[in-house]
Amino acid sequence: MPRPAKILVVDDEPDLEPLMLQRMRRHIRAGRYEFLFAHNGVEALERLREDPGIDMVLSDINMPQMDGLTLLEQIPQVDPDIRSVIISAYGDMKNIRTAMNRGAFDFVTKPVDFEDLKVTIDRTLRHLAEWREALASRDKLVALQNELDVASKMQQSILPAEFPKGPSYQIVGSMEPARSVGGDFFDVMSLENGRIGLAVADVSDKGVPAALFMMSTRTLLKGAAIGNSDPGAVLREVNDLLHEDNEASMFVTVLYAEYDPASGELHYANGGHNPPLLVHADGSSTLLPLTDGIALGLVPDLKYGQDSVTLAPGDAVVFYTDGVTEAMNIENDEFGTEGLRAIFAVSPPSNWEEANSAIFEAVHAFAGDMPQSDDITCVTLWRRESEP
Amino acid sequence: MELETRREEGTLIAKAQSRVDGANAREFQDALEAAIDAGDRALLLDLEQLSYISSAGLRVILLTAKTLGKQDAKLAVCSLSDPIREIFEVSGFDKIIPIHPSQTEALTALKS
Repeated sequence: MPRPAKILVVDDEPDLEPLMLQRMRRHIRAGRYEFLFAHNGVEALERLREDPGIDMVLSDINMPQMDGLTLLEQIPQVDPDIRSVIISAYGDMKNIRTAMNRGAFDFVTKPVDFEDLKVTIDRTLRHLAEWREALASRDKLVALQNELDVASKMQQSILPAEFPKGPSYQIVGSMEPARSVGGDFFDVMSLENGRIGLAVADVSDKGVPAALFMMSTRTLLKGAAIGNSDPGAVLREVNDLLHEDNEASMFVTVLYAEYDPASGELHYANGGHNPPLLVHADGSSTLLPLTDGIALGLVPDLKYGQDSVTLAPGDAVVFYTDGVTEAMNIENDEFGTEGLRAIFAVSPPSNWEEANSAIFEAVHAFAGDMPQSDDITCVTLWRRESEP
Repeated sequence: MELETRREEGTLIAKAQSRVDGANAREFQDALEAAIDAGDRALLLDLEQLSYISSAGLRVILLTAKTLGKQDAKLAVCSLSDPIREIFEVSGFDKIIPIHPSQTEALTALKS
């Protein structure tokens, strides 16, 4: 049996310790979790130095002596592979953003919902397991193929496993990696006031360095998206941070959008990415105009424009990467945006979960025996005709 | 990857062929590096014969521009087909790399 995951809980509130032990008692008894406690950042660092077996840290932000944000900066010096989750006051977006930018893996809000906390802990531990496996394989690297396997595991580990749900909308997404070339990822985030952030991105290179670049992009995007309702400003922030330490001139194209289910409004900013496709209920469609943005990581201090569109009930937006439109058949023809639009023109979808799969099927059918040369990613957002 | 090259008044002109994607981007980079001399004042990439370029290929162009910058040399591209132009425009690379309609116009611009 595997050993329990060791979780260090850091909070100055004396109530949290008995509460955590009580609410998590089943999982503790089952040998899944083991909890350690510290009451401020200084104490937490001492525990971490004493016990190299600690897997993750769950920390409050406001504490005496050393707060959670300072602790986040110090943890990698003790062990760069520890993952941290922040507990913060609901709506304290400024601190959450700072925490994410300092490398926190995720956050939960107060008052703590223990069911949600368990989901977050498990996701963090799963990521950590995949990360360690990737690191272990990397140490054993002998050939490029191994490196690509490592990269592909890292790539898979950052994709969301589930999507926000609501009565008025549906979101579905998936990514099919190509054998040798990879760099796609997507993310869907629940933001404040019920808004939803959606990102689809494509990193320019392959292998472990590109996968690390992808992970930074994902973390920075999450951090920038929180508490920021201007998608252009989100891309601007991520672009500047990616550029800071980018000797290898890698870049990432990103389409970032924020959807408000209450109004149907979609605000988006395009950083050098393929334009999303707006599909109406009758199957007609239009590409959303570019917003004059450059791929991220290349040029600092850029302003990113944004645009918006209001989805009518029954409208859907398809976000995708060039793996869809640049898929080739044996005659070297591209699937193109025409191929994508044709899927909906022929039979307007009534179920977007099926429609998202239909896009993948259509691309494969078109490519036939040609090997898949790039990752294929497709995320659809659908505003329902009427609330069920 | 084969690169057809010639020189005209200190400018290296290289013609890229068929496609550059993740599978041969490294070869493309090696071929460009091998072709560039320390004395070159500029590199003009003629993309007329190129049918496809992926983001990995765009990155090679960018890295090459950086390398050239260190020897005070410039990089430009010319003769883009419509699909290649579209890739440059969507990614925003048309704002980073100078694009010219033909070799003649590119050479004039590079000299000034």
